[in-house]
Order: sequence, then structure tokens, then C-alpha cells
Amino acid sequence: MTAKRLNKGGQIDRSKKLNFYWDNKNFQGYQNDTLASALLANNQTIIGRSFKYHRPRGIMSAGVEESGALVTIGKGKYRDPNVRATSQELYEGITAYGQNAFPNVRYDLGFINSMFSSFLSAGFYYKTFMGIPPFEWGRGTKIWMFYEYFIRKAAGMGSASRKPDPDKYEHAHDFCDVLVVGSGPAGIESALEAAQNDLDVILVEQDFQLGGDLLNQEGFIEKELIEKLHQAGVKVMLRTTAFGLYDNSVAGLLERVEDNYEESFKETPRQRFWTIRSKQTILATGAIERHIAFGNNDVPGIMTANAAKSYLNRFAVLPGKNVIISTNNDSVYDTAIALLKSGADVQVIDSRSEIDKHISKIFLQNGGTFQLNSAPFKAKGARHINKVQLASLKDNTWSVQGKENCDLLLLSGGWSPVLHLLSHRKIKAEWNNENACFLPGKHDEPITVVGSAAGVWDNNNCIESGKAGGLKVSKLLGKKNQNFSFPVPGGWKKALKPIYEIKCKNQKTKSFIDFQHDVTTSDIRLAHQEGFISVEHLKRYTTLGMANDQGKIGNIIGIALMAELLNKKIQEVGTTTFRPPYTPISIGSLAGRNVGDHFRPLRKSPLHDWNLNQGAVMIEAGLWQRPWYFPKEKETISEAYVREAETTRKSVGICDVTSLGKIFIQGPDATELLNRIYTNPFAKLPIGKARYGIMLRDDGLVMDDGTSWRLSENDYFMTTSTTQAAKVMAWLEELLQIRWSDLKVHLTSVSEQWCGISVAGPKSRETISTCLENPEIIDNENLPFMGVVETKLITNIPCRIARISFSGEMAFEIYVPSEFGEPMMEIIWKKAKSLNGCLYGLEALGALRIEKGHVTGAELDGRVTIDDAGLGKMASTKKSYIGSAMRKRGVLNDNNREKLVGIFPKDKNTTFDAGAIICELENIKGYGIGRITSVTHSPELGHWIGLGFVSGGYEKWKNKTTIASDPIRNKNVEVEIVSPHMIDPEGGRMHG
Amino acid sequence: MVERISAILKKNEKILNSKDECGIVFYENKNLILHQVSAWPDSLVSVGEKVSSELNLEMYPQPCKAVQSTDVAMLRIEPLKWWVLGSTINTMPIEKGSTLDISHSRTHIKITGDKTKIFLNRFLPIDFREHSFPVNTVASTTFHHVSVTIWRSKNYYEIFIPRAFASSLWELMLESASQFGYEIK
Repeated sequence: MTAKRLNKGGQIDRSKKLNFYWDNKNFQGYQNDTLASALLANNQTIIGRSFKYHRPRGIMSAGVEESGALVTIGKGKYRDPNVRATSQELYEGITAYGQNAFPNVRYDLGFINSMFSSFLSAGFYYKTFMGIPPFEWGRGTKIWMFYEYFIRKAAGMGSASRKPDPDKYEHAHDFCDVLVVGSGPAGIESALEAAQNDLDVILVEQDFQLGGDLLNQEGFIEKELIEKLHQAGVKVMLRTTAFGLYDNSVAGLLERVEDNYEESFKETPRQRFWTIRSKQTILATGAIERHIAFGNNDVPGIMTANAAKSYLNRFAVLPGKNVIISTNNDSVYDTAIALLKSGADVQVIDSRSEIDKHISKIFLQNGGTFQLNSAPFKAKGARHINKVQLASLKDNTWSVQGKENCDLLLLSGGWSPVLHLLSHRKIKAEWNNENACFLPGKHDEPITVVGSAAGVWDNNNCIESGKAGGLKVSKLLGKKNQNFSFPVPGGWKKALKPIYEIKCKNQKTKSFIDFQHDVTTSDIRLAHQEGFISVEHLKRYTTLGMANDQGKIGNIIGIALMAELLNKKIQEVGTTTFRPPYTPISIGSLAGRNVGDHFRPLRKSPLHDWNLNQGAVMIEAGLWQRPWYFPKEKETISEAYVREAETTRKSVGICDVTSLGKIFIQGPDATELLNRIYTNPFAKLPIGKARYGIMLRDDGLVMDDGTSWRLSENDYFMTTSTTQAAKVMAWLEELLQIRWSDLKVHLTSVSEQWCGISVAGPKSRETISTCLENPEIIDNENLPFMGVVETKLITNIPCRIARISFSGEMAFEIYVPSEFGEPMMEIIWKKAKSLNGCLYGLEALGALRIEKGHVTGAELDGRVTIDDAGLGKMASTKKSYIGSAMRKRGVLNDNNREKLVGIFPKDKNTTFDAGAIICELENIKGYGIGRITSVTHSPELGHWIGLGFVSGGYEKWKNKTTIASDPIRNKNVEVEIVSPHMIDPEGGRMHG
Repeated sequence: MVERISAILKKNEKILNSKDECGIVFYENKNLILHQVSAWPDSLVSVGEKVSSELNLEMYPQPCKAVQSTDVAMLRIEPLKWWVLGSTINTMPIEKGSTLDISHSRTHIKITGDKTKIFLNRFLPIDFREHSFPVNTVASTTFHHVSVTIWRSKNYYEIFIPRAFASSLWELMLESASQFGYEIK
């Protein structure tokens, strides 16, 4: 191939020369070049290597359907593989590399694979390496595991960078009346018509220039079109692909914001993922020219005729000097004439028996020659095409003819409307015999298809189709009631003659259908022979249409071939379902800004920064960041939490408990609501008192626990566990709105309104009282266990205090409005510090509550009844409440159910693990007799302890040795089952 | 009373984008006064009238709407609930409804500038076109998976973020706003 840049013409900006690097060599192109056009202008012919056979591949198209020129862009952490050179905008300094080749795509040692191609046919990995029966029965997987590495290494596309993606991505939303996809003649006309009728229009174009096929026409001026659209009020989005259509007229778009720059700017994302909600969608997505299957049809120097037109007219690159064009339709003759005018020799071989006289006259006048009833049978040339062996058609049979020299072979096997987005909406495509393509089927979606996407081939008809589309949506949206009619599909002067494969009797060829996955016509025949007759099975067995071009070029040929083999019509075989995305989109764009610290919403207590300033190490608890422990110099986590727990038991400890769920319950029926949802009675809870409560689900199992504080006759302040807060809130709302709509109760989440701390330990009262305006208010008489007061700190900060203990010590929970959290902490911490108190985190909190036998989410995991948790006494027998009936089911009252127990190691110097299975001493297997849910080192007892559940409970297993079996860590430890209340079982400490 | 501590570490600054533009201006209401008023189905009208009268507002707002005067505003945030912004509100008999001070529960950020709508749509799936979201429209929506309330007041788009999420969402806001250029006041 002898491609060259022409001295004039095209849409390129010759005033802006751009340097680029292809396989480390420096070349030059122009602004508005694609990488492919710039490579072609520099006469680079081998751009890629094929997937399985490592055959050399050149540029085959000028758009997103490209199957040959797949390259890797960028280096290091910016490396991006499998980029289509044909749609990659050229920019200053772009670096591109060939991929799937060693040492490079021009000389690739992997080409040796092609010598073994007969072993690599469709489904070869199912057959070859799965074991040879009967000798290797049952060992096939092992054999595959051995070979898999080598196969994967030899086959494949480029490789992505292993480094974290340095680019930023973001999500965005927009709304419009009409979304027009595609800016070719039809799309432009639709957008203008709709906008002129006072509709809000967004026009999206995947290219970096506006115009679609207009760009390939001589004399097109993009600037004028942009101005026209701007004046009409159309919002134009360039470099934006509509990759999917979804329910309710939602479209997914990917905008390549910075793919035309070497590195990202700091402030803008590389790509933007748009969700567009429109009322109507117009698809002007065009059509893709098809290849033809014949021998060696993948040799560099073979491309679609329309691609050559694009390189010539848009990029001012003459892709070859000695050109043969193979066609079965009228569309190539314009291209042929343009090539002739640019100095190429052009011969058209048309598979039809006659062509339109007017077309042939003009073509001949321009110096072209043509042959009828002809087609290429085999391409010759190892590294790029130099000859074509032709075939001629007689009596519907192809026979080998002579050879013709050429340096460029252009193909047009017909046109396939781009119907992928319709397919996303489950709209069936219908085969049209006359035009040999699938056309949009009937549907009732708010989608209109115009232009060549609707099978309209003539340029003027496309414009008419676009206008009709604009009028249709204007009418549907109540803007203009003007009659319209769509041109019928078609438009060839002489009918197209369907051809898919050129095959001559007794002649073997390697004819490719899916170039990216090296799927050949033989693969289709083999699949049929082996019984894969459904088009969906065919796809999965042969991988036809599964590469990143998703069958844009090859699918129809494969389907036609299958139809022939099955002796069916193409419409009976049907087509596979196209699914989003239309073209590949980056994982980064799907993630948007949901990465790093923002992978999930981050929830911080009002004391977050204060805790960090005190040296807290944080841990996630649900979405919350909570202090885990507060290490002193060089302390490990174990040393820190043991110290914190010890200090709390001996003096005073302060823990940030803001993350607890908090719900304010108001209304004349608030008490009734609580009485119905908690297992224990609330009807007589006095004002100024709190009560611990258990909520069950409908099925009688425990949902959550918490406290409810009665602040007045009709106001309650409920706390829930941190991770169940949202669930409890939603559950209560559901009950009020659906089951008990007669109750007058309002719920408000006040989790954000209040900052809470727990002050625990024998010196807790002393710590707090000095910080209050009225210290006596928390005397034992005024504030007994489970008492509640509303008062003020000495700095006039309003606060709520309840005498509640999770640690087993005398303890108080104090809540202040969130933005007073830090000021509260300053005064309370100052006092606690003076009493040798400490701050403690979640780890010490765990140790304290395990010692005491208090349950939390680890125990209340959705499988536990109130009796299992040892709280059966809290289940009222005098009232009805959620779960009260179902908890009485036999299965929930079996004596052998696993019940809450404490666990000690037999040897007090050993430890055991949470998650371990508890087994009988001589029967260590299966599910055992129970499980361990929580483990800690107890500062109070001086050894490791745990909580768990054992069949039959403590009474059944006391004084017996059992085994804590941890099969994951291969560790069996002798343990004894004890009461879960491992310290202060009478509660003397917390009652003060 | 001691000073309230904002959830967002805010400092006044102006960051222009690479085109030297400043498309977004943020203000934080550092002393948010926000009260919730709830009514029962049979007392909705009377509570609405009572509260709007107490605030000297012409009427009470319908669902997804707000009514605003110079100093105070009343936002309808649920079928039976309003938020009163900028004023305390008298308690009411429980058979009529209830009130609740939630001034510390939200971080209140006011946003203006010629890129505000585009900026907000980087996060919020709300149609901000004039006919769809005129002045004094209120919506509950999600911002980076977090439930937020947004109100288009006379001069700003005002967003109410649950306080615990504010710091995290504020980081995201500034990161995204940097492409438009922004100023914090």
C-alpha cells in the first residue's frame, strides 16, 4: 500500500502540526486527524496483530467498528489498551504502541500460532485440553489449569496498567425534550426541526467533529453547521457516545472530556458519565458498511470503501494508488470517482450483473473500469495486499478467475443500520430482504429512528427522514401539528445483490468473519456440524461478535452463513441481542467519584476531628468513622484497648457514641407505638426514665435492641444500634404508614442532631457533675439507674443525660446538639483527665461489653430469638407486639437451640478466635454444637474470653470441656462454657 | 453560649479554573435555625395557617414548594411536615401537631454563580430547568447516595445536608467545583 497525504483538502487543520509516537518512532499529523489517518498518511500499514493467530492487521475502517487497528495508548499508569486508532483523536505527543505482539506488530514471533490454526478452531479449549477420555477422565480441569497460562499469554488484546488509575471521572445528569443521537445529515435535520419548534434538544456525537457522514463529503464546512445549531438552541455534545438506552427514556452517555490530551488537568475529569432523561429519543446512528468473507480477507490494505472515502475527503489521505473496489451495491461509485480524481487507478468489481447506466457513465468518464459478476476470492500478500485473485459468478456459482495487482482493496458487502440502542430496549430487528439488512421492528417506545439507521441510503432522503423525525417528536410533544412522512427504506438505483462469502468449489481459504476474535467461516461450519444451531449458542461457542467491536462488522455474515447451513432464511435465524455499552466504556467512568475515601458516603461524628487530635485510630462502623483505640506512644492495639478498658473499670473512660441511631418519636400515640414494637411493656414508663427494649421481626427473631427515653407525655427519644438505625427507622415508618395508619405518631431521625458520649466507670459521676450547672441533678436520688434528665453544662450548653450502661460500670450517656460536641468534650475530658481517666474506642468498648455479656450486632445476627440471647424475661406474656405470635413457633422454642454463653479457654494462657466452631471434645466435625461470635482479652479476668452460642446453653455444657475449632487457621483449643455474665453478674457496679 | 462548630472545615477562598473563571459561589449558614413542624392529616390546614401566620407569611407552602419572606422561609418537605428556616416556632397542642428543633442536624450551604445548575447536576438527578424547578421549589434527592433537601430560594440554590455526611460531601463539591472555579464566602 502506498498511502500518502494529499496537498490540499480535508477537514484537517494544516496550520497545527502534531507530533505523535508510534512504537517509539516520531511521526507528524495534523489537528483533526485520527491516529489511524495520521498513521495511514505516514504509510504505516501493520497496526495490530490478531487475537489467536497473530496475523498482521491493518486499518479496516474509519470508525468505531474497527477490528484491526487496535492499539495501546499512553504509558505507565496512563496505559490504555485496545483503543481503536480509527476513533482516537490525534493530539500533540500522543504515544501509541502495537499490542499482542513480540517484539512488535511488524515482526511478531507469535505468528507461529497461525501454523497451528487447525488446533485452535472454535471451542478448541473445550476439546483439546479437557482431558482425553478415558485416560484423563476427571483430570481435565488440572490439565486445563496447566495450559491456560500459556494460552492466555499467547492470545489476547493489550494489557492495562497494573497501577491505580490516575485519572478522575465524574457522573452528571441532564434533561431535555429530545435527545438526538448522531450528527449526520438525518440527525442534524431532526435536531434543527425539533429545536425550531421550541423543544429542548441535545445532540450527541461520538466523533470529535460534527457532521457524521457529511464530514466525508467534499466541501462540508463544520463551522457553519455548529453556528446553525447554536442559533437554533441545540445543545451539542461532541466526543460523547450514547452507549445505552434504558427504561423511561433514560440514556447513558460517555463524554471523553480529556481523551484528547496527554495527561489530565487537575480540575476536569478524563471522562464524564452522563445520565440523560429525555421525553423523546431520535436515533440517527447511521449504518456500518460490511466486509465480505473471502480468502485472506484480513490482509493489511483491505478496508471498507466508505473508510477510504473518509480518509480521502475528511483527512486528505489517499490510502492507495492502485485500487480495486469490490461491491454489491451502488454506494462505492462516489468513492471510486473521488479516488480517480485524486490520481488513483480504480477498478470496480461488482457482483451484480448490471449497474445503473448513469452511474457507470460518470464512472467511466472519470477513467475507471469495472467488471460485473465478479468478486474477490483470495487476497495475496504476506504483510500487505499486492494482488487479488478474483472469482466470477455464473449460474449462481463462483469460480476462480484471474489475478489483478493492487495496493488497496476496498469492500462494500452492503450496509448494516446501527440498531444497537434499539436492541437495548428489547426492540426486535426485522430482516429486510431487499436491502439485505436488519431494520427497526415495530415498538411503542418513545424512540424514532431516522436516516440510514432506518435503512434510508440516499443523502437527500436521509435529510427528509431527519426532518420527519423532528416533526414527529414535535407533534408528540404538542409543539407543532404538521404532517410528515418518512421515506421508505432503500434508495439504490439498481438493487443490491446480497453476498456474504465468496467460496469456490474445491478451494480452501481462510476467510474471516470476526476479525478481532479470529472467527472464520470454517468456525461457523464447525459449530453447525457440532450442533450449535441457535444464533445465541453460535455466538458463545465461536465467540463471534464478542470482542470489543461487538460484531459490528462480522455478525451479519455469520448469521447469513448459519442460515445457509440450516437451510433457513436469515429472518428465521434472527440476530443476537446487543447489550450496553455500544462501544467500550472505562470502569473508571462507571465509578465516577465513588473512589478512595468516597467509595461509600463517609459519615463523621461531630467529634471526629477532636478524636483525631487526641490520637484516635479510626475504624469503619457501617458508614461511620469511629475511634478504634487511642494509642499512647508505641502502644499496639492490644496494649491500648486493654489499658483503656482497665482505666474505665478503675476510674473513668469516655467513648464517642454519636453513631448510635437516634429517632425522635412524637404524638399522642407514641407510647402505644413503642408498646407494640418492643417485647417488654412501655405503657407505664414514667417521664424521666429510659428503658432497654428488644424489637422482633414479624417472624419472631430479634431485629435490634436499644433504649427509649420518655422525655414528656408524648415525646420519646429512641436509640438504636449504629448499623441498624436506618433499618429501624424505615421499619417504624412502614408500620405507621401501612399497618397502623390510625396511630398519630411522627418519627424524625435525629441521629445528626445530637452528639453523644458515654462516660463510664466508678468516677463517671464525679467527672460529669463538675461540668454541670446543677451538679446535684445527677445524684443517685435524682438520677437513678435508667433515669433521664435534661439540663445544661456549665458553658450553658443544653444536654440530655441518661444513666445507661453498656460497659457494666456506672455510666452516663450525654447528648448535646451536634455543633456543641467539641465544646462539651473540652470540659468533660479536662475533668476526666484530672481523674486519670481515658478516652476509649470501639475495641475497648467491645472488651467491656463482652465481659458483661451484653449482646451487639455480632450476636444479634438475624438468626437469634430473644430467648437465645438470654433475654427471654423481657418478652411480655401480657401484651401483643410485633413477633409475639411467631416467636412461639416450636422450632424457635426447641431446648436444643443454640443459646448465648460465655467461653473461657481451659488453659488461661491460650486464646481462641471469633468465628470458631464449638465442638464436643471427641467429635470435632461439621457444624459442631455452636459458634463463637466475639472474643477479647479481659483485663478484669486476666485471660481471653468470648461470647457465643451453644446448643442447649450454659446449663447443658457447664463443667464440660469442649473444643473451639477453627478449621481456617487449623487451630483447636479446649474451652469451657460459662455464664455469659462474666463479671458483676448481679449488676452492682452499674446500679451504683 | 459557646460558638457552634461547623461540620465543614471552611475557609474563605477563591479558586479560579484554568480559564480564570469563577462559576460557583458557596456560602455556609453557620448558625442554622431550623425547626420542623408536623401536623396530622386532620389538622394540616390549620397548622399550616397557624405557622404561616406566626411567621407573617402570606400562605403555607404546598408539597415540594416553599414560601419565603426576607428573614424566614417555610419549606414543605413531606406531606405532613414543614421546615421553618430562620425562626423558632411556638409549640402547639399535641392534637394539632408537633414541633422539633433540628438546627444542628443539617449543614446548610447556599450556592450561586452562573454554573450552579450544571454543577448541581454533577451530583443531583434533578431537572433544574426553569419550567421544572422555578424559584421556591423544594426537592428531596440524593447526593452521592446521601439523602439531601434542596430548595431554590430567590437568590440561591440552598442545600441541606445531614451533618455527619457534610464534611465528605463538601470535599466532593469542591473537587467538582474546581472545574468551574469557585469562591467560598
